[in-house]
Amino acid sequence: MSVSDHRHDEGLERVLGPTGFEITCEQCFELLDQYVELELAGADADAHLPGLRTHLDGCPACREDHESLRALVIADQG
Amino acid sequence: MADSAAIAVAAPPARPSERAERIEREGYARRVTDRALEADPVRARTEPDSRWWLTVLRADGPEREEAIARLHELMLRAARFEVGRRRAALSHVRGDELDDVAMQAADDALMAVLSKLDHFRGESRFTTWAYKFALLEAGVRLRRRAWQEREVVLEPDAWIEFGDRDGSVHAELESSELLGHLKAAIDSSLTAHQRRVFVALALNDVPIDVLSERLGTTRGALYKTLHDARRKLRAELAANGLVEPNSDEKGRSR
Repeated sequence: MSVSDHRHDEGLERVLGPTGFEITCEQCFELLDQYVELELAGADADAHLPGLRTHLDGCPACREDHESLRALVIADQG
Repeated sequence: MADSAAIAVAAPPARPSERAERIEREGYARRVTDRALEADPVRARTEPDSRWWLTVLRADGPEREEAIARLHELMLRAARFEVGRRRAALSHVRGDELDDVAMQAADDALMAVLSKLDHFRGESRFTTWAYKFALLEAGVRLRRRAWQEREVVLEPDAWIEFGDRDGSVHAELESSELLGHLKAAIDSSLTAHQRRVFVALALNDVPIDVLSERLGTTRGALYKTLHDARRKLRAELAANGLVEPNSDEKGRSR
């Protein structure tokens, strides 16, 4: 087997997590409100807060927190 | 390179990873906040509602009491919002119990917000900042409640027993003939604690807040262990040409 056989193996990628720089759970929580508002304002949140999206890709709990906060802020705006 | 949440990427112009590593060293939160504020002038530091919240919550007497009551309503709204999002996965839990969970989460979130008022720097609206505390408190409680009657198998080798679970990662990997390679890497690369944490979180999908409760640790500590384990496994599998290497190990001779 080679890299070309498996680089798109979604199961393995999910198990091994993201490869790039990522912040910690504590940093993610600290910045989550800012990230959500940047997202909803149409700004490039990932450029402003590097490593946060990668952390969300690797941490299901923080990802759920992000999805909930984003949904709640959107509900408030509606 | 030591296993760490801060991953070095040295080759220019590899931005934003390079920039991120530097920011991490210099004090991540403050640096990126300042950069974001420069880039996006529409910030909560000039937002009237946030200033009002800070003013009344720092006042004395009835004004503060009224503000705290309103803040609790806000926290309860957020906690109930989270309960609503997760209700389908908690269909076996009585409604009044879920109401209690929401109320407990709101109570604890209120205390957290009040104790951390000085930490609010205005990078977002005050309500957005406060909401995250209620969502976190509610989310942690609901994840733990959902797993309350479920066993968490912590033996490092127990994951093999789960190989026939429907729809599991094991099944996906088994079908792609990677299971043996992954198991060999787990056995050869990880410590017993890393194996235990990796198997529970990455293979058996145990919520990290459930595992942290059972092991008496924190989400952050467990995620660090998971992160280190993943890096070791990816390095091991990449050395055998099975996956892409870690981003800071690309181009290194094997």
